[in-house]
Amino acid sequence: MSVHSVSVAKERLKNLLISDRMQCTPEAADKLAGDLYHTVSKYMEIKREDFDITVTRTDIHIRYMGEKN
Amino acid sequence: MGEVIVITSGKGGVGKTTTTANIGIGLSNLGKKVIVIDTDLGLRNLDVVMGLENRIVYNIVDVIEGSCRLKQALIKDKRFPELYLLPSAQTKDKTSVSPEQMKKLIEDIREEFDFILLDCPAGIEQGFQNAIAGADRSIVVTTPEVSAIRDADRIIGLLEASGIRRNALLINRLRIDMVRRGDMMSVDDVTEILAVDLLGVIPDDEQVVIATNQGEPVVGEECLAGRAYMDICRRLTGEEIPIQDYSKPEGLLEKISSLFHRN
Repeated sequence: MSVHSVSVAKERLKNLLISDRMQCTPEAADKLAGDLYHTVSKYMEIKREDFDITVTRTDIHIRYMGEKN
Repeated sequence: MGEVIVITSGKGGVGKTTTTANIGIGLSNLGKKVIVIDTDLGLRNLDVVMGLENRIVYNIVDVIEGSCRLKQALIKDKRFPELYLLPSAQTKDKTSVSPEQMKKLIEDIREEFDFILLDCPAGIEQGFQNAIAGADRSIVVTTPEVSAIRDADRIIGLLEASGIRRNALLINRLRIDMVRRGDMMSVDDVTEILAVDLLGVIPDDEQVVIATNQGEPVVGEECLAGRAYMDICRRLTGEEIPIQDYSKPEGLLEKISSLFHRN
């Protein structure tokens, strides 16, 4: 079965919006996420896979999924 | 005191002018006193969509330059209770008006109307800055396509940066069949990505083309788009009307209940 085109559209759109909102390339956005992770990990014990950043039109949110029950 | 709403999108061709005309007419039919203003200098279109192109004498630039009084430039649409059009100028360009002049024009008239709707040109240059200068809030029109949604996001960012915080999304030309088979982004997909309030959804409907061909409104007509535009107008007047979920097939119960809801 072929992949529905919506999933492609959403992925492309998400990348476009991140680079538009941060005014940079998706690679630079990934680098920022990596640098922020590095900085936070100096002060907290976190795993890379639990760390995520979201860029909105006005804020950058750092999300960390802490201890799981 | 009237509410000033700019209808904008960034991308061209997504339905700003058609939306302005139909919301203006719908609000007028709900008993509101409405003025629709075409701010697209050099590309005058709102009058054509409304079927009023043969009645233009003066335009918005004449009013701003003081060549005529506002009353002389206003066209009253006699088909509807209290609906007025201030047409754009076809032979002037964006720079013939400044954001300050637009702001003053709106301040001068806002006492007289319940709703002032500003049809914004495409783009993010001076025409856009002029159109949003006096606005309290916006309706951002988009279609469920990558390019249109990207531009909508940019526009919302610019509106917020200009201090306009009440921005609501209108998703236009939704192809229900394509959404159901996974080939068009759904209402949920779009609102999740843009994270902004949803004002309404207009399903793709050939009646819009047919009505526009004749310079007539679709709002209030017995068709998908006509009902959806009317719902939006009612929401703008403060009524709470749920937004229809077009992603699910319409069941027999809904079909029967919609029969009873026709007026």
